[in-house]
Amino acid sequence: MKSLTVALLSGAAALLAPGGGLASPAPPETAAGSFSVPVEYRKLGNGLKVVLSKDDSSPKAVVAVYYNIGFRIEPKDRTGFAHLFEHMMFQGSQNLGKMEFIRLVQSNGGVLNGSTRFDFTNYFEIVPSNALETALWAEADRMKGLQINEENLKNQQEVVKNEVKVNVLNRAYGGFPWLDLPQYANTNWFNSHNFYGDLKDLDAATLDDVKKFFSTFYAPNNAVLVVVGDFNSKQVGAWIDKYFAGIPAAKLAPKPDISEPRQEKEKRASKPDALATRPALAVGYHAPKRNTPEYYAMGLLDQVLVQGKDSRLYQALVQKSGLTGDVEGGINSGLGHMFNIDGPTLWDVSLYYDKDKSSDQILKVLDEEIAKVQTTPVPKEELDRAMVKIRSNIYDGIEGFFGFGRADLLASFALFDDDPQAINRMEENFRKVTPELMQKTAKEYLRPENRTILLIEPKAEEKKTDAKPAEKSGS
Amino acid sequence: MKKILSIVALAAFPAAALLAQKQAPPEPLPAKGFQVPAPKKLTLPNGLGVTLVPYGTVPKVTVRLSVRSGHIDETADQVWLSDLMGDYLTQGTATRTATQIAEAAARMGGSLDVSVGADRTEIGGDVLSEFASEMVQLIADVVRNPKFPEPELTRLKADRGRQLAIARTQPRPIATEKFVAVLYPNHPYGRLFPTPEKLQSYTLEQVRAFHAANFGAARSHLYVVGRFDEKALEAAIRSAFGDWKKGSDPVSNVPKPVSDRAVYIIDRPKAVQSTVILGMPVPPPSSPDWIQLQVTNTLLGGFFSSRITANIREAKGYTYSPASTVSTRNHDAYWAEIADVTTAVTGPSLKEIFFEIDRLQKEAPPDKELQGIKNYMAGTFVLQNSSRPGILGQLAFVDLQGLPDDYLNRFVERVNAVTPADVQQQAQKALTDDKATIVIAGDRSVIEEQVKPYGPIK
Repeated sequence: MKSLTVALLSGAAALLAPGGGLASPAPPETAAGSFSVPVEYRKLGNGLKVVLSKDDSSPKAVVAVYYNIGFRIEPKDRTGFAHLFEHMMFQGSQNLGKMEFIRLVQSNGGVLNGSTRFDFTNYFEIVPSNALETALWAEADRMKGLQINEENLKNQQEVVKNEVKVNVLNRAYGGFPWLDLPQYANTNWFNSHNFYGDLKDLDAATLDDVKKFFSTFYAPNNAVLVVVGDFNSKQVGAWIDKYFAGIPAAKLAPKPDISEPRQEKEKRASKPDALATRPALAVGYHAPKRNTPEYYAMGLLDQVLVQGKDSRLYQALVQKSGLTGDVEGGINSGLGHMFNIDGPTLWDVSLYYDKDKSSDQILKVLDEEIAKVQTTPVPKEELDRAMVKIRSNIYDGIEGFFGFGRADLLASFALFDDDPQAINRMEENFRKVTPELMQKTAKEYLRPENRTILLIEPKAEEKKTDAKPAEKSGS
Repeated sequence: MKKILSIVALAAFPAAALLAQKQAPPEPLPAKGFQVPAPKKLTLPNGLGVTLVPYGTVPKVTVRLSVRSGHIDETADQVWLSDLMGDYLTQGTATRTATQIAEAAARMGGSLDVSVGADRTEIGGDVLSEFASEMVQLIADVVRNPKFPEPELTRLKADRGRQLAIARTQPRPIATEKFVAVLYPNHPYGRLFPTPEKLQSYTLEQVRAFHAANFGAARSHLYVVGRFDEKALEAAIRSAFGDWKKGSDPVSNVPKPVSDRAVYIIDRPKAVQSTVILGMPVPPPSSPDWIQLQVTNTLLGGFFSSRITANIREAKGYTYSPASTVSTRNHDAYWAEIADVTTAVTGPSLKEIFFEIDRLQKEAPPDKELQGIKNYMAGTFVLQNSSRPGILGQLAFVDLQGLPDDYLNRFVERVNAVTPADVQQQAQKALTDDKATIVIAGDRSVIEEQVKPYGPIK
């Protein structure tokens, strides 16, 4: 669990600088000082999952629609298409032409974005609470269907190619490790292809592909709608019925087999980087399956090993040996956190280092720390510290990014587990983990045979003496 | 679903009938009032400013000490000395090792982070509410009693050296380095990076001296935002900081930025994009023009619905992430449009950016467009003041820029008072074409001819 607040790969660009409930809302705070999230959950007749969570701490509301289509399962001859399609969702629907969706939200004081991940594509608006109905209407409008033309598609193909260039091709360490590591570590195409897309595939996309993709995946029975914020449940429930209940369900295709076989042999890959000047290293281990006891044990191991400056790997690799200046990582760390992914994922560690050090030196320290968690139970004091970090992190997740963090968690629990109430059991599930289970999990999942090592080979020359631009350009 | 698909297919035809069938979106309800959370302010006898803001529903609190020191205090021979000193603060105190500091912060559910900026060094973190007082004590310990252990110097300099080397491989940092160097000659704001040799030359004595000269109560302000026990917290603040030395007053070194129409190319052979920064100095936050300038920036390039973004991204597809911004330092500001554009359309991108600036100078924006901008700014103002770090950042901005106490409470009202003529006038006054400095990190061999019409190439 890196951070529960999501770093967004944006579809519409980063925009800020960002009835009939089954459960009765819980009080915001219990006597014990722990925080409980109110959750109202139901399904419409067309299968749309609806989650409401009240938070009237300020007059705003989040509307989030998560579709059960991640880039993992995009068409095999169209890498990057799930993400390109996400952009098309901003290009026009029945009642909102190009730029009109975005203008409608923004001119009412809201921000919005969309993003594409392994197991979902999401769209969200954060609006002043008086504009909540408007945002719901707009999301419903594009759930009904798109109205776009060749020009819109061509335009967004250019925009997305520029997105790939700015984030990957025109920079050193582009795609390290978030885009690269899954491609080396996984063997099943669904998990191992270039999900940002080959530029060729992006160019090859047609309006027909767009139509087909929409009809295959963008249906109410393949989605969840979450509203978080300052609202009246009954009124919001009525709006949701009015705008969403009439959208017809679709017959959904069976999900492909996205499983990864147990890895039996360590993999090593090396990637030359023409723009980089210092080496970098990432290690990815296949993580336990979502919601298993081992998954939560892995979440705790993650805290002990890599989260924060008190973590064992930070202390060993940075503070004590000076091999690097920082250690990053986590479960699904590149594109989210451990709760907003459903299928196979990695626990990873990555760092940048200097040419006078070797990757073996770094791996030796890593191996020593991994061996310790495999052979010796984590002491109680350290486990307590890990739990405090988790509790704090859960609070951040619940309130992060103006309530979007809460919407993201609720959507994930509804979409993957049909159980948004699970948002209130995260801490409890970590508390059930014993030191023995952590040891067992470390032995199985942190085996060297279960990992992939990726090295970035720097190919650019580092200028020994730089010009002094400030002085040079002084008048 | 078939029916929906047929509508998609029809979209290629400019069918008036379809337009006529369009439904209008439901109108928003009347906006609810929003009050910026009220801060409680006090000043300790030694000059330390304290701002406490009870806020939020989750049991967390952000505690941050903002010291008026940073790059502004560096001489030309000390670039990043403030950063190195900042790194050193968490490496140990008279009574705690670096590891103990890290573990103490983690036990509170947070971390102790130091960030060094142009005008301020900020030390703090976000922790569980029950540890608010303990976090205050930890912050006081690292800023008042740093040990500066000698053995860490080589490691910390190597880490900074690596960060410098990596930053210099990326187009935005090197373009920014050139841009600020042009705007702020012979001023700390114009020195983004040190040379690697200079960085490695810094001594422990320099680090200690920098801390001694620039840290003290008179230059510092403690902000606490979140849920906390106010009485206990105030007592903890007085106990932890009450006897801190007063120290020196903050340095006032407001630059006189310069800018002339010219194109600076930083060659990145084979680059598939050109990273463009196009901008000029503008009046600072304390200026009477400030709010009008904010509105003008938002309309021109400050958000997705803005004119430049609609043009070079949504109409032309030249770029993914264009944005204009007003970047502020202490009583100083510049405006810039920043975009990574496809190499082949570098010249055309400049053409469109200037086209949009010129258009706004020639014609006042329509009322409806301006109203949308105002609504957006009012809405995002609520968001900016609806999180612990957001509230803290807004209050610290007001303090640094010496703005009146009612600045935040009157912000939306003042935005709403801006007229189309005001926006046109700001575009004419502040965004003057002949002052535009253009920096491009890109493939010189491809772009030089394209950008020639936009200014002398330097």
